Amino acid sequence: MKAKTLKGSSKIGKILQNMGSILLFLVIWELAVHIFDIREAFLCTPSSAVYHLLVPQPDANYHWSVNILTTLKEYVISFAFVAAGGIALAILISWSKTIQGILMPAFIFICSLPMIAIAPILLIWIGYGLKTNVLVAFLVSFFPMVINTITGLGAQDKQLLDLVRYLGANRWQVLLKIQLPGALPYIFSGLKISSSLCIMGVIVGELIASDKGLGYVIVNAQLTMDTPPMFASLIMMSLLGWGMYLLVSLCERLLTPWNFVKERVDS
Amino acid sequence: MEEKKTLLSIRDLKKVYTTREGELEALGSVSFDVGRQEFVSIVGPSGCGKTTLMRIIAGLMPQTSGELIVDKDYFDPQKDVGFVFQKALLLDWRRVIDNVLLPIEILKLDKKKYIPRAMELLELVGLKGFEKCYPNELSGGMQQRVSIARALIHDPKLILMDEPFGALDAITREKMNFELLRIWAESKKTVLFVTHEISEAVFLSDRIIVLSARPSKMVGNVEIELPRPRTLEQKLLPEFNRYALDIYNKLEVK
Repeated sequence: MKAKTLKGSSKIGKILQNMGSILLFLVIWELAVHIFDIREAFLCTPSSAVYHLLVPQPDANYHWSVNILTTLKEYVISFAFVAAGGIALAILISWSKTIQGILMPAFIFICSLPMIAIAPILLIWIGYGLKTNVLVAFLVSFFPMVINTITGLGAQDKQLLDLVRYLGANRWQVLLKIQLPGALPYIFSGLKISSSLCIMGVIVGELIASDKGLGYVIVNAQLTMDTPPMFASLIMMSLLGWGMYLLVSLCERLLTPWNFVKERVDS
Repeated sequence: MEEKKTLLSIRDLKKVYTTREGELEALGSVSFDVGRQEFVSIVGPSGCGKTTLMRIIAGLMPQTSGELIVDKDYFDPQKDVGFVFQKALLLDWRRVIDNVLLPIEILKLDKKKYIPRAMELLELVGLKGFEKCYPNELSGGMQQRVSIARALIHDPKLILMDEPFGALDAITREKMNFELLRIWAESKKTVLFVTHEISEAVFLSDRIIVLSARPSKMVGNVEIELPRPRTLEQKLLPEFNRYALDIYNKLEVK
């Protein structure tokens, strides 16, 4: 095991480093727009985007709170379904070799579809709005969640199964005591991948057809080449995705504490 | 005398694996008895079916033919067996104490009642104070000691040990042998110990079952009549070496 090398203070330094790189990027962008005198209809400055987000504009109302909340709501609902459904389906598929043999090929076939292409069809079936966007987001981000969980459920040392089987453990005990806890690190990496795919799915739904949400803001602003709200939407989407990622990381930290053990004792 | 009673009788036990290349005889007709509170080792070269034998006794695989005879009133192979594997096989996500308590959960016994017992066992294996650690905070030897405590928690009558110290360095291994003898003497269990270290087997055992290479046959059943408690000095005794030599001869090592 690696010895603890980071001191407490350098952890804060690392956060500053990360923030610094983002700030530097924004400064270069800001300066470039001014220096090369780029028209706002082509590319706005980041400060203008943030300004549009925070300060109400006299000439247009972007309804930020409604739009952000709509996207957030769709994101949270679809991500919850992905997390719960993904784990449940993975457990079902890996329950027995027979079930896996029957379900896995069909599952992979369905998931090989570029799910985004289904969005226009869903629009016909369900109509536009929350349900369609949630469904698109779900379909787009479901696959890695299931695959990761299946991998995790099967990743245990086979001898760990012997360990409980010699005591007469039943299938449920094997699942709950060995497979599921052992799969947690895989589940969390699945959730991290799915969290970014999921926000993309929500936005795709909104881009194709909707009357509110951050995707809608972009489509709507594009008509008037009003770039600041478009970039403001992008920033918000990225913040939503980032927030979810952090939330997943926090849960990971809380639920898999053994992976964050620092030092090893020897005797 | 209670100690002379038989715990387990193995009669003509045979295991044949069916592989793509045909039938492979892993274990060919082995018969022996294990007495209550006896320390019996099984030695033999790699691939002689030692592990297969242990897995059959633990109920992890069926035998092809032959019988395991036990006194059902005294010994229930489902509940009264503790298995120590070659690897420690601790669950990374459980603290040491919860790893020790795993068999209690599987057997659906009252976990609370066994916590003091788990603490006692951790003290017995020299891990007092480590109960709240995660396995990856412990060294290999410490992990294996946790797994010994785990095998003892449900108070099994028979402990199966399949090369439990094989992955440890020679020095740690010697220490573990002493600890094992101490635990065995204190807990009055029956131990069935698989190894391919002949001197280790002589040092630990009351009796040694010698298996030949595949197709394995039982080629020896050697009583070790060295006084207990065993000491390091005994390893220098001519008797000790005679036992070892006898086993080497039975294994046809030239």
